Amino acid sequence: MSEPVSRRTPSTHIVPSYRTPLARILSLCSLLSVFALAPVPAHAELGESSAPVYSIESARAAHSLLIDIALAGKRLVAVGERGHILYSDDDGQTWVQARVPTRQLLTAVHFVDDKQGWAVGHDAQILVSKDGGATWAQQYIDVEREEGAPFLDVLFTDAQNGFVVGSYGALFVTRDGGETWEDASDLVDNPDGYHLNSIAQIKDSGLFIVGEMGVMFRSADNGETWETLEGPYEGSLFGVLGTREPGVVLAFGLRGNLYRSADFGSSWEKVELKAASGNDLEYGLAGGNLLPDGSIVLVGHGGSVLKSSDDGRSFVVINRPDRLSLSSVAATANGNLILVGQAGAQLASPTGAKLGQQ
Amino acid sequence: MTNHHQDKATFLERLIFNNRPVVIALCLLVSVFLFYQALQVRPSTSFEKMIPLHHPFIENMMEHRNDLANLGGNTIRIAVEAKDGDIFTKEYMETLRQVHDEVFYIPGVDRSGLKSLWSPSIRWTEVTEEGFSGGEVIPQTYDGSEASLEELRNNVLKSGQIGRLVANNFKSSIVDVPLLEVYPDPEDQGRLLNLDYREFSHQLEEKIRDKYQAQNPNVQIHIVGFAKKVGDLIDGLLMVVGFFGICFVTTMILLYLFTWCVRSTISVLITTLVAVIWQLGLVNLIGYGLDPYSMLVPFLVFAIGISHGVQKINGIALQSSDADNALTAARRTFRQLFLPGMIAILADAVGFITLLIIDIGVIRELAVAASIGVAVIVFTNLILLPVAISYIGISKRAIERSKRDAHRDHPFWRLMSNFAHPAVAPLSVVIALALGISGFFYQKANLQIGDLDQGAPELRPDSRYNQDNDFIIRNYSTSSDVLVVMVKTAAEGCSVYDTMEPIDRLMWKMNNTEGVQSAISLVTVSKQMIKGMNEGSLKWEALSRNKDVLNNSIARAEGLYNTDCSLAPVLVFLNDHKAETLKRAVKAVEEFAAENNRDDLQFLLAAGNAGIEAATNEVIATSELTILILVYICVGGMCLITFRSVAATICILIPLILTSILGNALMAFLGIGVKVATLPVVALGVGIGVDYGIYIYSRLESFLRAGLPLQEAYYETLKSTGRAVLFTGLCLALGVATWIFSAIKFQADMGLMLTFMFLLNMWGALWLLPALARFLIRPEKLAGKVGGSLLAH
Repeated sequence: MSEPVSRRTPSTHIVPSYRTPLARILSLCSLLSVFALAPVPAHAELGESSAPVYSIESARAAHSLLIDIALAGKRLVAVGERGHILYSDDDGQTWVQARVPTRQLLTAVHFVDDKQGWAVGHDAQILVSKDGGATWAQQYIDVEREEGAPFLDVLFTDAQNGFVVGSYGALFVTRDGGETWEDASDLVDNPDGYHLNSIAQIKDSGLFIVGEMGVMFRSADNGETWETLEGPYEGSLFGVLGTREPGVVLAFGLRGNLYRSADFGSSWEKVELKAASGNDLEYGLAGGNLLPDGSIVLVGHGGSVLKSSDDGRSFVVINRPDRLSLSSVAATANGNLILVGQAGAQLASPTGAKLGQQ
Repeated sequence: MTNHHQDKATFLERLIFNNRPVVIALCLLVSVFLFYQALQVRPSTSFEKMIPLHHPFIENMMEHRNDLANLGGNTIRIAVEAKDGDIFTKEYMETLRQVHDEVFYIPGVDRSGLKSLWSPSIRWTEVTEEGFSGGEVIPQTYDGSEASLEELRNNVLKSGQIGRLVANNFKSSIVDVPLLEVYPDPEDQGRLLNLDYREFSHQLEEKIRDKYQAQNPNVQIHIVGFAKKVGDLIDGLLMVVGFFGICFVTTMILLYLFTWCVRSTISVLITTLVAVIWQLGLVNLIGYGLDPYSMLVPFLVFAIGISHGVQKINGIALQSSDADNALTAARRTFRQLFLPGMIAILADAVGFITLLIIDIGVIRELAVAASIGVAVIVFTNLILLPVAISYIGISKRAIERSKRDAHRDHPFWRLMSNFAHPAVAPLSVVIALALGISGFFYQKANLQIGDLDQGAPELRPDSRYNQDNDFIIRNYSTSSDVLVVMVKTAAEGCSVYDTMEPIDRLMWKMNNTEGVQSAISLVTVSKQMIKGMNEGSLKWEALSRNKDVLNNSIARAEGLYNTDCSLAPVLVFLNDHKAETLKRAVKAVEEFAAENNRDDLQFLLAAGNAGIEAATNEVIATSELTILILVYICVGGMCLITFRSVAATICILIPLILTSILGNALMAFLGIGVKVATLPVVALGVGIGVDYGIYIYSRLESFLRAGLPLQEAYYETLKSTGRAVLFTGLCLALGVATWIFSAIKFQADMGLMLTFMFLLNMWGALWLLPALARFLIRPEKLAGKVGGSLLAH
């Protein structure tokens, strides 16, 4: 199926819009409603902070919605809905559910080594693990922030310096390994509070953020200052990746839009993507990863798996027959892929196709 | 005591036989009146009668019935399948359009809700840089060309209808037809008509299935839905009338072979028919119709009537051999058989009446109708029949035969009498014990509550309807076994985070329960919509704490909450409707409700077909043992009163208990569950089976009193009554055996079980009763004694 928006009325077009997507209007609505309804009753989050509610252990967790996956050394760690965090020590054959103090949707996970990692998600939450993903503790939560709107990505450049980006322009920074988190949203010139969807480290260059409506920001000084860039695309960008080459940035988003820059985002080139049918790929791209062998894999809606072996200049596209949406990808030691998304974690061949009977 | 009773019997006898013309005239008058009433009886099926209305699940469901109206309510789904290729051909789309238009004009269809690919309301949408874009799935420009078919294919992919209106394999698509139970008359808009399910079902067959399969050989049409199922059920019901004809003719032949007398054959048949007419007439008088369950009653009445008629004819033939005229023979028979007959009928009625404790309308009606039915037999076959025979007499040939029979030796009965032999009896008892014990443990391990087959349990698994249902389950993403949990909140409370978050957790809990396929509620829609509002990003596929976002997100979740947002159903799709699956799902919901219910949020069980079945199963599971115990207490009590002997009671009851156990074992073996249809069988089987025991034991006792040793007494019993018992057993079994061929599954199950019970009860009385008597009865104590039993003469 296509973008999973099946129940829209045509009336969305009547909404007075000066080229503004509906999402925009709704985010404004919710902003306004915050002012209108403040103070928001806080009993739910009080309960949560006093006695954390742990995620439920379930045999189906590995098949529930999973959003992101990362490597903690050799261990695979995936996060997703209902506070599910799963890890696998056998290259994705079997999964163990971790003990996690939340039941909210988790949106991103990142490990700096085989022990230390962070996960972020809804209710503006940051979770930390010191044991390679087996147990987690809450490091930050703010249910009041935009009524529990989510953080969307997390990146640590080392064990001390970390960055979290999120909805409505959230940018949070830590310099002490997450002991304290500071709201640095104002460092970014984002007056309309566009969602910041993804953050990446670009080799030998610095940090790069992409977001809603194609906004782009870069920082060459480890996040002290941020420069606003004129992006090549006006639609939303969901992901950004660095490659093995210095200064190369890949940014991707709605409707198969993929752009490559070789100069840390100063100039951009569109990467043409052809689906198997020969038509342009029209599925949104949600996430991706640079694999240990230097190849790059991107995934998205419609079961799209894109692979590049030439540092992101061109991609081979396959669409998995189930057409289920994918959200992120990691590679196992033998080069197979672990895809996460609507169907949970799936083991796939190096090209993303179905793997034997797995 | 005994004299007193005999006086009474003689008084009754005098009353009847001294006023024979009055008796005949009265019966005739009553018959004419009740025949007229019987003609008014209509087949009726009512949803409410089949379910336990006082079970808390059902009470909850009824209370919120209106709010759940749209919930997979009264709709028909017509799947139009392309046999070769897929749906994206010009021919297929044209047929689909014609089907859509034709259905539109069938009376009873809610035209505004009719949905297929051809409805303008079926649209595709996608997220673009500009926001959402969308259009009709079949665009205005559609002309059947390759290009427009390709466009159609793309639109379908983007429509989100795959698995719903379009099959997962693109080889069929659905026309979704909501129905109105009451609709305005097309000729006179002011008048309202009730939907005639049978007529509607026939129209679907003629105007849709037959017509379009003939017109386009490449399509096959599958129709499912409540209305179609009811239509098929009513058709099946009428087929049963044909069975009655078959049953009547075979009984007539058997009866003639038994009596060798045309006159008595006809008088037994006619008086029994009169009983059936009276029963039907009385049923109509008290306002009942004929539903698929009470349809059984005329058969039972017919069979029981024949059985008593045969006893009478048998008696009269025996008496005729030394009586000078038919009147004397009839009077003597009346004197001899009226009381045992009454007691047997009373035992039947008591067996039926115990069914009243089951809180399910159809079973209660069955109990009442069957009790009325056996009661009228007292008048028709115990009174009218001997009176009629006293006028017309029986043929010389039959009298000759019974005279000969009285004096010659019967090798068959001689052989059978060995069951009372001291060497054979222990063996019989051991065999019975072994059968009983192994049967008991087998049924305990294997007997299940509820329906065990896929699809509509009322119909056979290979019926057209169930095949169509199977087709839709295989090709679309919906299961047909749905348990609905009703989430009740304050008004406008269904869309707040503090309601939706627990609903979400309930759904996940259900998802993690064995036997659950998936769950759907307004939370499902809400999450999808919130994701859609956020450009399809999976990172947003979660409930928002923002009230306006949540409100917006459920705007299109039609049918998943009621008008004032105080009730939201959670639909739990189950793998099957086996009792175990239902029990597990219900338990999971109850646990969740216990933890999460609060003043303004309640999780209520249950609606949906699985909810109703779960409630029905609970009622049946609790009634099963109660019924059995009650029936045996009542029947045992009857025997005790009649025979004044514990030993006699045991002799009569043990064969019945063995039959009950083996009956359950057979059900377990055949994969028939204990359900609404099979539960009454126990009571009916025991109630009727006790007749044999009573007739045989009363005869045996009287021969023992005359001083005969046990085996000789049993031989005499077999010669006189045993013959009639054997015949009766076959007759009763035959009466219900035709049901095995019913198109309605539960009628077939009932027929099979009753046939088995009747045959086994008869065999038990002939084989096990004398063996038990060998151990329990002391003939020397009875010999020469007169008093004691009510039946002593």
